[in-house]
Amino acid sequence: MSDLLHFSEHTLQEVALVFMVVVYIARITWFLRRFKAGGERQAPTGRMNTTKAKGILYSWANIAMPWAMESTRTKPLMYVQFAVFHIGVTVAIALSFVIPYWPTLLDSPSLVVLLQILIGAACLVGLVRLVRRVSNPYMRAISSPDDYFSLTLLTVWFFFAVLAVPNSAANGEWHLITYFIMTAFFLMYVPFSKISHYLYYPFTRYYFGKSMGYRGVYPLQHG
Amino acid sequence: MSKTKTRSHKAEKVIERMGEKLNRQIAGSMIACVHCGMCIDSCHYVLANPGDPTYAPPYKADRVRKLFKKHFDWTGRVIPWWVKAGSVYTDEDLEELKDIVFGKCTNCRRCSINCPMGVDFATFNRMARGLLVSVGVMPEGVAVVSKDQWEIGNQMGVLKEDYLETLEWMEEELQDELEDPDVAIPVDKTDCEVVYSINPREVKYDPRSIADAAKIFHAAGESWTMPSEGWDMTNFGLFSGDDLLGGSVAQRLYEKVSELRGKTLVISECGHGYRSTRCEGPNWAKYDVPFEMESSVLTMLRYIKEGRIKVDKSRNTAPVTFHDSCNNARSCGLFEEPRELLNLVCEDFREMYPNRTENYCCTGGGGAMSMSEYTPRRLKSASVKANQLKETGAEAVVTSCHNCVDGLTDVIRHYELGMEVTQLVNLVANALVIEEKVAVPVEEPVVAEPEEAEALPLAGRTILVADDEPDQVEFLATVLEDNGATVYRASNSDEALEQARRVKPDLLTLDLHMPGRDVGEVFEIMRKDPDLEDLKICVITGRPELRKLIYDRSVRRPEGYVDKPVDEERLLLNVRKVLELAHEHEEAAP
Repeated sequence: MSDLLHFSEHTLQEVALVFMVVVYIARITWFLRRFKAGGERQAPTGRMNTTKAKGILYSWANIAMPWAMESTRTKPLMYVQFAVFHIGVTVAIALSFVIPYWPTLLDSPSLVVLLQILIGAACLVGLVRLVRRVSNPYMRAISSPDDYFSLTLLTVWFFFAVLAVPNSAANGEWHLITYFIMTAFFLMYVPFSKISHYLYYPFTRYYFGKSMGYRGVYPLQHG
Repeated sequence: MSKTKTRSHKAEKVIERMGEKLNRQIAGSMIACVHCGMCIDSCHYVLANPGDPTYAPPYKADRVRKLFKKHFDWTGRVIPWWVKAGSVYTDEDLEELKDIVFGKCTNCRRCSINCPMGVDFATFNRMARGLLVSVGVMPEGVAVVSKDQWEIGNQMGVLKEDYLETLEWMEEELQDELEDPDVAIPVDKTDCEVVYSINPREVKYDPRSIADAAKIFHAAGESWTMPSEGWDMTNFGLFSGDDLLGGSVAQRLYEKVSELRGKTLVISECGHGYRSTRCEGPNWAKYDVPFEMESSVLTMLRYIKEGRIKVDKSRNTAPVTFHDSCNNARSCGLFEEPRELLNLVCEDFREMYPNRTENYCCTGGGGAMSMSEYTPRRLKSASVKANQLKETGAEAVVTSCHNCVDGLTDVIRHYELGMEVTQLVNLVANALVIEEKVAVPVEEPVVAEPEEAEALPLAGRTILVADDEPDQVEFLATVLEDNGATVYRASNSDEALEQARRVKPDLLTLDLHMPGRDVGEVFEIMRKDPDLEDLKICVITGRPELRKLIYDRSVRRPEGYVDKPVDEERLLLNVRKVLELAHEHEEAAP
């Protein structure tokens, strides 16, 4: 292993990770301290069996219930894309810990293939999403440079993650070095980009679910 | 060379006040959108305007979100172009924002419940409205209605004497109908179980719904009253985003109920009124309400379940469908009870699809009915609702919202669906079985003989019917003539003025959209003409947005108002009210 690869796998990742955590803590602190949560004084409305707690749980679980919202129910392909893309992100991030700290896990050829399929599928979805963002007039109208860049960054990162999964330097280290440098960049860029949505997701879903549960709107009823 | 952009006073205030309005829920919604586009086709504006991305919820949301990013978010402050952050600098910028937040969204919350991230666009759109209103940037109708609610205490500027007079009139109608002089609409009675609050629209355009509610309370043997002040349960603060107005209006009602020591505040069928009074008001006013509050839908259902009233569904045989008000369904969870009630009082109830929390807006929500400048846009977006209605095959659409009644009436007329719009209170009242009446022999209908013409309710009255639709003229004239009136006809505004001056009728029924001179102008001329000082005018229109043509003028307002399509009963009730016949009859009684 070259010094550059070692540095990329370890020091660079650790610094990037610490940076990301520090910025995330700062952002969450800012979010919680700068903005006060609104409360509800009125008595609950709607069906008697709905509560704030149920609403919050339903809201959080919404991500795993494509049948709950019309937007996901009527677009199953979009939901599949969402699932594949985010599974790919999780696996590709996990890979950045596995390679330096638990490389023997990748000795299993079948696991390597599985991870490559998962990340490869996410890469494909990334491409599809990019095409959609560019070609669909609605998506184009709502997209910012950050949207395009974040999606491109992740798609390219997936590509290198697929190559990095076997953790083999037999044909050179460039793909591993690229993957780890991109991971580090990704970690440092995320807090300032739309990719940080997952940091706020639990909060937005929490407050929306709390209100909708208290008002008897959640769980959603439709016909 | 860097150049600092100057900001207008109003724009400065909008930015400054935005910081005060942001709470964690709104800030979360500002940050968390990933522009995934999943919510786009949940919006009726999008569906009715294919290919126009400016109606897309995230696009509209970004017009507000850019301010947040520019002034409150880290990345937007440093590299605004990267995340499309931006600000407002001129009053023109604020006007553009007004066009989006008032003119392209009804705050129906359909995109909010369809957002995978939990972004509640409707809530921060309302916040943006409030910011604009705070600097005086708003549609004219919003300003007019808000002013009425601040100054007169209700959003339609109904004066106390008119309100009380209408209650008296409805009380008399009910006494006649039930042949029971003890039936009452009590006002300011203390220590009642129920204090009933209404929408000023009921006083002005739909007094029958007050009588229907009173009939139900009477049949249930309820101890109830209506307040003489603070009776308006609607709240334009919800639409304008003005929390101060919202809190003030809600508190006025809460304090009146407390003063009367009422146990439950019953809110008549109105989506935004229910949401404002029941759910948002205590928060706007920071007021802990010491009594219970419920929708009249729940009250009526409770009466039936408790056996306090009996209903006969065979009295409502026409096929009906139900339109869920956005505020009831998506903000208050009120969607099962109306259906339960409908199934008890109607023989043929058909669902509209989608429904409940996924129903589409009537397109008149969010105060849209008061913003006439956006009417063409609203009616175009209503094609979605029109298709929904049409597919049910129902003859009538029932809704628990007065705003939706107006919105749907407009949709039905515009798309020529030929449906009626009604409310649960009307259906329940119609299905009501009043035991006492069974024992009373039913009188044979009186056939008007020529010599009995004096006994007809409009006998001796001269009425001028002004409308450019021949069918409408014939219908109105026939009904009025059958009830004893002498009817003259005019088919345009100039002819109406000429006939009014020549015939000097007791009453003019005036369509607001006719060929010839501007009807508003003709109305003003008539009002200023000393020879027509006694002329009563009842506006009959299918275009409620044209009301402002009349109401904006600094002359006496019309004495009556009826929405098209007109039915015989409503026409006669309003005409008699305008001519004050009910009062005269009482005086003439031995």
